[in-house]
Amino acid sequence: MITIDDLVKRRGSTEILSGIGFQARPGRVTGFLGPNGAGKSSTLRILLGLDRATSGTALIGSVPFVQLRDPLATVGAMLDGSGAHRARTGRAHLRWVARSAGLPRGRVDEVLDMVGLTSAASRRVGSYSLGMARRLGLAAALLGDPEILILDEPVNGLDPDGIRWIRTFLREHAASGRTVLLSSHLMGELAETVDDVVVIHEGKVVADGTLDEITGSHRTLEDAFFALTTGNAP
Amino acid sequence: MRALAAEASKLASLPAVWIAMAAGVLVPSVIAAITASSTRSTVTRGAATVAGADAGYQELAFGVVGAIILGVVAISSEYFTESAESGGGRQITTSLTAVPSRLRFLLAKISAVAIACAVLAIIASGTTMGVVHVVLGEHAPAMGVDDVPRLGGVVCYWVYTALLAFGITVLTRHAVIPLAVLIANTSVVTVTYLLTKITPLANYLPDMAGVRMFVRRLPDDTVEISPLTGGLVMTAWVAVLLVIAAVAFTRRDA
Repeated sequence: MITIDDLVKRRGSTEILSGIGFQARPGRVTGFLGPNGAGKSSTLRILLGLDRATSGTALIGSVPFVQLRDPLATVGAMLDGSGAHRARTGRAHLRWVARSAGLPRGRVDEVLDMVGLTSAASRRVGSYSLGMARRLGLAAALLGDPEILILDEPVNGLDPDGIRWIRTFLREHAASGRTVLLSSHLMGELAETVDDVVVIHEGKVVADGTLDEITGSHRTLEDAFFALTTGNAP
Repeated sequence: MRALAAEASKLASLPAVWIAMAAGVLVPSVIAAITASSTRSTVTRGAATVAGADAGYQELAFGVVGAIILGVVAISSEYFTESAESGGGRQITTSLTAVPSRLRFLLAKISAVAIACAVLAIIASGTTMGVVHVVLGEHAPAMGVDDVPRLGGVVCYWVYTALLAFGITVLTRHAVIPLAVLIANTSVVTVTYLLTKITPLANYLPDMAGVRMFVRRLPDDTVEISPLTGGLVMTAWVAVLLVIAAVAFTRRDA
């Protein structure tokens, strides 16, 4: 369970987040939707302890991320790009991540296989396409077989095959009782993957509910999204 | 320990670290070979009787460039941003989601850098002194018990220099400025040395004080600083800088 409560983030005089609050529940895929610059990444970075909130809380279970005893086995996170240094090979990157959690080397090969990067594992990350970089980022998130997945724009850069694969993967992950929180600015890709939707616009949550509730009387999630973030924007 | 193992694994798989290692061994060894062969011809011509007591040690003071590169890239690699086409990510996000405690992460990294640099300094000292003795032959200054603390001083100086470079790079989050300034200071224009011309206090700057741990005779020496004092002064500089770096690192957004 992820619980975010009244999160405020100011940078200088600009308020990036103005009281963000929502939950992501086990067994469900929660979509965190909003246009670019709405505050999605900022929220996820605070949730992962990378950035500090001006006020408010973001909890994994009942503790902030930085207090987790075994972070990799609890939360798998993927933010921008691959999260790897370009001069290292994909396998070397996953190996140091595995070492930080005391995971066996064999686990590295398992996740490489899961994301379909086995044949590219000995190449330097700098030579990867965006799609491959994203797969490597996902492989790192999956290393510890975590209860919770937090993915920032997971379908960005993936080819249609990859998008289809990740949808199925996330649905299965949630079906086994785990928690999935993903952000996206692409509504079409998301409608078929998510159970719950949180819509964020200019640092505020403008809608929070199940996919059906949010879509409501609109034809598609996309229509609902544009109505929420343009027409009815507070 | 897991965090340290991860940091060691990072260093070992980063090509820039191997460049630093190669530079650390080659720079002092090659300079030592050149100086020693010119000393040798001076001695055989009868212009001098014996090589100076600092043969090899002077070169090891220059060779610290390898330690500087090591200290800088260990942390700058965390902040290196991928191209926009690859998603514009940085490794620091992966590092801090794997080891969320900033202090633990930093301590693990500092330990890994210190260990790697100590190993590098031992290898570089061995090859540099080996080169001096091979080239000078019978004219080489005799190695004795006296050299044990001096070589210990070399290792200390290299590790401390790597940590100074590391601490500065934690603050800048970028390799270019610390690399340029620190390498220039040890090779092209030794600003800290020039400052000693203006004020004797400059002798207490970290590098000027630190070299006293193993270099016996500095050019135009005006201030007497014992090897132990020199080492303690440099220790203090390193400690202060690392505390500042740790405070900045734990407080700011990653």
